Amino acid sequence: MNKSVEIGHHTSQQYNHELEDVRNLLLQMGGLVESQLAKALKALLEHDSELGEEVAFSDYKVNQLEVEIDEQCARIIARRQPAASDLRLLLSIIKSITDLERIGDEAEKIARHAIRTNDLNSGKLNASLRHLGDHVREILRESLDAMARMDSPQALRVARSDSQIDQEFDLLSRQLLTHMMEDPRTIQDSLNVTWCARSLERIGDHCKNICEYVIYFVEGKDIRHINLSRQAGKEIAASQTAPETVPQRLPAGLDPDPDSIQS
Amino acid sequence: MSFATTSLDTGMTKQPHSSTETAPGNMRRATTAPLDIETVVEELKELPQPVGMPLLDDPKYHTRDVSVFYNETKQAIFNVDLDIGRNEVIAMIGPSGCGKSTYLRCLNRMNDTISGCRVTGELLLDGEDVYARSQDPVLLRARVGMVFQKPNPFPKSIYDNVAYGPRLHGLANNRAELDEIVEDSLTKAGLFKEVKDRLNLPGTGLSGGQQQRLCIARAIAVSPEVILMDEPTSALDPIATGIIEELIDTLRQSFTICIVTHSMQQAARISQRTAYFHMGYLVEVNDTNTVFTNPEHLLTENYITGRFG
Amino acid sequence: MNKTTATIRAGLARRYARERRFRRFGLGAIIVSMLFLFILLFTIFSQGVSGFSQTFIKLDVVLDEATLGVGPGATGEQLRNAGFAKAISQSLYTLFPDVSSRSDKRNLRALMSSNAPYRLMGIVMDDPSLLGQTYSGWFLADDDIDTYLKGHVDRSLPETDRRLKDQTLGWIDRLEAEGRIEKRFNTEFFTNNDSREPEQAGILGALMGSFFTMLVTLLLSFPIGVAAAIYLEEFAPKDNWFVDLIEVNINNLAAVPSIVFGLLGLAVFIQLFGVPRSTPLVGGLVLTLMTLPTIIIASRAALKAVPPSIREAALGMGASRVQTVFHHTLPLAMPGILTGTIIGMAQALGETAPLLMIGMIAFILSTPEGITDPATVLPVQVFLWSDSPERAFTEKTSAAIIVLLGFLILMNLLAVLFRKKFERRW
Repeated sequence: MNKSVEIGHHTSQQYNHELEDVRNLLLQMGGLVESQLAKALKALLEHDSELGEEVAFSDYKVNQLEVEIDEQCARIIARRQPAASDLRLLLSIIKSITDLERIGDEAEKIARHAIRTNDLNSGKLNASLRHLGDHVREILRESLDAMARMDSPQALRVARSDSQIDQEFDLLSRQLLTHMMEDPRTIQDSLNVTWCARSLERIGDHCKNICEYVIYFVEGKDIRHINLSRQAGKEIAASQTAPETVPQRLPAGLDPDPDSIQS
Repeated sequence: MSFATTSLDTGMTKQPHSSTETAPGNMRRATTAPLDIETVVEELKELPQPVGMPLLDDPKYHTRDVSVFYNETKQAIFNVDLDIGRNEVIAMIGPSGCGKSTYLRCLNRMNDTISGCRVTGELLLDGEDVYARSQDPVLLRARVGMVFQKPNPFPKSIYDNVAYGPRLHGLANNRAELDEIVEDSLTKAGLFKEVKDRLNLPGTGLSGGQQQRLCIARAIAVSPEVILMDEPTSALDPIATGIIEELIDTLRQSFTICIVTHSMQQAARISQRTAYFHMGYLVEVNDTNTVFTNPEHLLTENYITGRFG
Repeated sequence: MNKTTATIRAGLARRYARERRFRRFGLGAIIVSMLFLFILLFTIFSQGVSGFSQTFIKLDVVLDEATLGVGPGATGEQLRNAGFAKAISQSLYTLFPDVSSRSDKRNLRALMSSNAPYRLMGIVMDDPSLLGQTYSGWFLADDDIDTYLKGHVDRSLPETDRRLKDQTLGWIDRLEAEGRIEKRFNTEFFTNNDSREPEQAGILGALMGSFFTMLVTLLLSFPIGVAAAIYLEEFAPKDNWFVDLIEVNINNLAAVPSIVFGLLGLAVFIQLFGVPRSTPLVGGLVLTLMTLPTIIIASRAALKAVPPSIREAALGMGASRVQTVFHHTLPLAMPGILTGTIIGMAQALGETAPLLMIGMIAFILSTPEGITDPATVLPVQVFLWSDSPERAFTEKTSAAIIVLLGFLILMNLLAVLFRKKFERRW
């Protein structure tokens, strides 16, 4: 594999430092978002409204980082005219931070629910929510990990596992629906849980986006809006076993297929 | 874990191919060994075949296995296979001494003037062998115009500069026709408005950018099919450069343009395809968009991102 | 102030002192060479200027039939045999009636140059109506008189040590008192050929000889030199041992002593090809050999100075190599080539040694009218005169040198003007 995904080794040391800086900021932002989500979930599940308030309050830090990274990227683009992998890195970062910021927002939403619904009491729902939350946290962690190591196989794996989140969410939704039909008094609680679950599901989607950016950066291919399991999965899986490939511009397998485009 | 040391040596490689456009057996992309420049260059020397899409259907120039030697001992370019399409702007980039200018000068046999220079391989212009014994360099150079790095108008009037080619080849029967050719060429080069009142003043009195446009006007006055440009803007300021680049884009309608440039941004701005040369080898030829967003070859990547090697 | 600055500052005074010293050396060198040049020019001019003037004596010549032996209406043939010498002598005797002895009379006649009768004849032939009348005009004095009047004879010396005796000096004093003797601008210097008599010697023959020789040299060396330079610079294969050999030889030829070319000319042109000796033709051939390396080297330098971008532009337009040379390179190199040629010609104009070998040192009394007439050239004329015993030839020598220098300066000026006028920027 000749593709270089290193940041260093530019003739300009200053350029190396600038890219290193922006990458570190990104990792810092990822870490911050991760802890925000963890705290929000904890606050929600343990009815800790104080922690919830802290999370809601801390969201500004995420926003600040987003602005800072954006500025840094703009500076680099203006001054260095990055090309190829550097260009893809910066594009991935710019896009990733939007998703990270959204994840931060979702975490804040969950935290606000935690502040309001400190009498959420259904153990069963709670358990489902906890399960979903853990899963989403796991995915977020793995996404950030893939991003930190620029590990496209892992990113692909994570992106694919997003569908499990969706399934879990559907399951939880049905569960809640049943719940609400059984006992209309729980509708308020159930709706709250639904909102939180919805947020978690959205976070899963954002994680998937981040993974796609990682793949874009490493592979130079945009795999968004392509049915991952059916198409790109085959591509990347196949390329892992085939030692010899012949380069070509647009791999046939990645041609946008109208049937497989996700809505 | 640091980004800087992470290279994807986990075996991730390219997708399988469905195109038969390029020759099979390209080893360079499939190494699983850690990436270092020496290895890549060694591989390049073993199998000097460019990645990307060097070959086209119905090309203007068809060149195969072109090698250039200076004084028998020094080989300047190695087995270059490249097609140049009709009405395309192809940019040749690469570090100094990589052979891009040498290759360009093969296309209109300007290398003939350098003693001890020998060209081997197949170079066809519209199917005609450029280096054939029957090929007349004078006719060839009338068909393939050239613009040089340093604006080099003749120390004559602006009019005479443009009229030189048509006079040389007897393209105008009378003064009126010649006037028309001169005006037409200057207009195409975007210079006519600026110089129409001083056609009889020396061309060397113009500004650098105007001189270069005068040279372009001079080149297109004989209606060539191809225009070769050897770093045409390296001596110009950004404004003049911009004007020339804009001009190149309009000239593409009527001519095939090969441009050698040291400015990667320029190659990115004006070309449809980009060819990257390294140490005399053609490394990669690709759609310019691909080269500048997602080059296939490590050496290309390193060059356009400004890395060591 | 850091350490580096301190070190540099400490050394500054020494550095500047060295610089001043060097500048003074340079200035000194220039002053010395200017001084020598000044001395040279001063000597030449102080001696030479008087060479342009000559002493004339006014005589009233009675052109009657008794003296001349021909009367009015005489034919040219008769006039040529007429006694003009007698008429001149008569007029002298009339001026100094007290001279009676034969030896004194001979001394008296020696006041006049030997060409006075011929001059008188010329005047009369131009205007035959003068016959039978008295003609009053200025006639050349003998060179001894001229030398004396120019202050080169010390009167205080005993009479036996002088060329002019007291008697003659007395006559001169009398003539001076009567206003019959004066120094006038010597037009004959430019219209006469060489002569044994210094007062009659002129440089016309040498000038014409130089002109024809230069003509031959120019016509041969310019086209050959430029063609050779063009071939070597534009067409000859580079890195070819044969071409390198030629180049080395041309450069060496420029340093070959000029007399060697003379020997070559003698052996090849005169002995082998039978070119007539002492002629501008053979002189021009020899000087061509000598000038060629200079012209070739200068022309090559001028061609090399034409930027290669111009050649590339022309070739890129589809011009052939010959077209490239004649449309662009040569016109651009022409000022340099002309400068080199003029300098080479100036060098040839001042050359003596090789011409001695091919007989251009002969004493020629007639003006050459073509390239095959025997001739001498200016520098050789200078050499000849400087070798003559008569005191009066010294100033002739200097005068000829001044003329030669004048031509050289003119040619160099021309070279500078050419360069200035055609110099182009690109």
